[in-house]
Amino acid sequence: MRDATSFDEFYRSTSRRMLRYGYAVAGDHTEAQDLVQEAYARAWRQWGGLAAHPAPEAWLRLVVARLATDRWRRLHRWRAALSRTGPPEPVPPPNEDAVLLRGALRRLPAVQRQALALHYLFDMSVRDIAREAQVPAGTVKSWLSRGRARLATLLPGLPAEELEANDVA
Amino acid sequence: MSRELSELYRSLAEDADEHTLAVPDDLRRRVDRRARLRMAGAALGSALLVGGLATGTGLVLAEERGPLAPPAAVGPPATVPASPTVPAPPPATAAPGVPTGGSPRATGKPTVTAGSTAAPPRSVPDGAFFVQAAGNRTGVTPVFRDTQALPALCDARYRSDAGIVQRRTRILTYKLPRTPKGYVPDGSYANTVTLYRPGRADEFLRELRAAVRGCPAQPGVGGGNASTSRLRLLADDGFGDGSVLFEIRTPARDVDGNPTGGEEVRLVRAIRVDDAVTVLWEQGWEGTSSTRSQVDADSRRAVDAIADWLR
Repeated sequence: MRDATSFDEFYRSTSRRMLRYGYAVAGDHTEAQDLVQEAYARAWRQWGGLAAHPAPEAWLRLVVARLATDRWRRLHRWRAALSRTGPPEPVPPPNEDAVLLRGALRRLPAVQRQALALHYLFDMSVRDIAREAQVPAGTVKSWLSRGRARLATLLPGLPAEELEANDVA
Repeated sequence: MSRELSELYRSLAEDADEHTLAVPDDLRRRVDRRARLRMAGAALGSALLVGGLATGTGLVLAEERGPLAPPAAVGPPATVPASPTVPAPPPATAAPGVPTGGSPRATGKPTVTAGSTAAPPRSVPDGAFFVQAAGNRTGVTPVFRDTQALPALCDARYRSDAGIVQRRTRILTYKLPRTPKGYVPDGSYANTVTLYRPGRADEFLRELRAAVRGCPAQPGVGGGNASTSRLRLLADDGFGDGSVLFEIRTPARDVDGNPTGGEEVRLVRAIRVDDAVTVLWEQGWEGTSSTRSQVDADSRRAVDAIADWLR
């Protein structure tokens, strides 16, 4: 038996964070809304067991990440095709931090976007990210380090000297 | 930690906060209704199978059938590839404990069953967007973008935006039927479908009409050079439950930015169908002007797509 009240409470207490995460990994508002709503839909279908799960929010993040990865693969092909022959990209407003970061994140591999989002949006340490992603800590350090280095090249003005991995352990 | 990167992420979070999700009550209802419909479909498939008529019917019902087993714990993720590759086909059923990717379908098409009253739609599905006629297709797959639905009209603001349930914009290219395949497109659209709360869609059309009237001219950019665009409403009738059509004329320039003496004409049409509005903003292709007959034909298709969705 699924308890709607506890699900609603979980939804309300986590949806804002989850939408931020979805936005950071998908790079698009509509995509993020779709991904996150689908993740919650799956959570509700399994709420009978998930409600007792020790970390339902982590489970939900994993769903969002995987949905984003799958969707990203399809969109990547569309965007590649469009960039060859399609209309020019709409010019983003200048000096808009969110727009700049979103554009740069689109050029990062999915695992790096996810690791960076967990670190900067959820304040998670390398060890926590590694536990959630079920990978060695060294792998997460590599994701973060490479992701930040790549962002430094994509975002002029981001000081390269601060893009070291030694402050994320 | 990189302070600057933190600030960028903070901006990103604030940007995300501008958008909201459906209330949990709506989400639960939609999920449960979808499950009921699937179960009903599965039951029908079984009946047909018994009758010897349902060869293969169950296949389309396999995905996400019925409630899934609860996860025992956060499952170890499969190795996520470092770069996008060809996606694996979604499994027929989800393994317990491991959330699967598969095809997100958060925006399912509302379905009306006999004898029941469907709840009003809460999201804009892919099916709300029109399918191009075969002769107009360029081979470039339309793509959804988080971008402007309308050109700027001086400093117009739309109070009806407060009544938006969801808005999605798709970018697509087209060719005119007489253009041979393999040529560059003849034009492109930003095609937006917006779902409003009851009564607000009509308000949007009124505001748009007023915005165009109030902005007969505005600075524009043609070929990288400052110029003035002139805007005016055009008579429009016969599309959906009401429509607004306007044009934007900008002096045309050659590749060097010199005036050619001609004009570049953009057509924009917004059409209301019930509580939804579809906007076709024709954006041309390398200086082409909008072709009224093509925009009219695509507008009719856009209306049909909305009507099919809301039916």
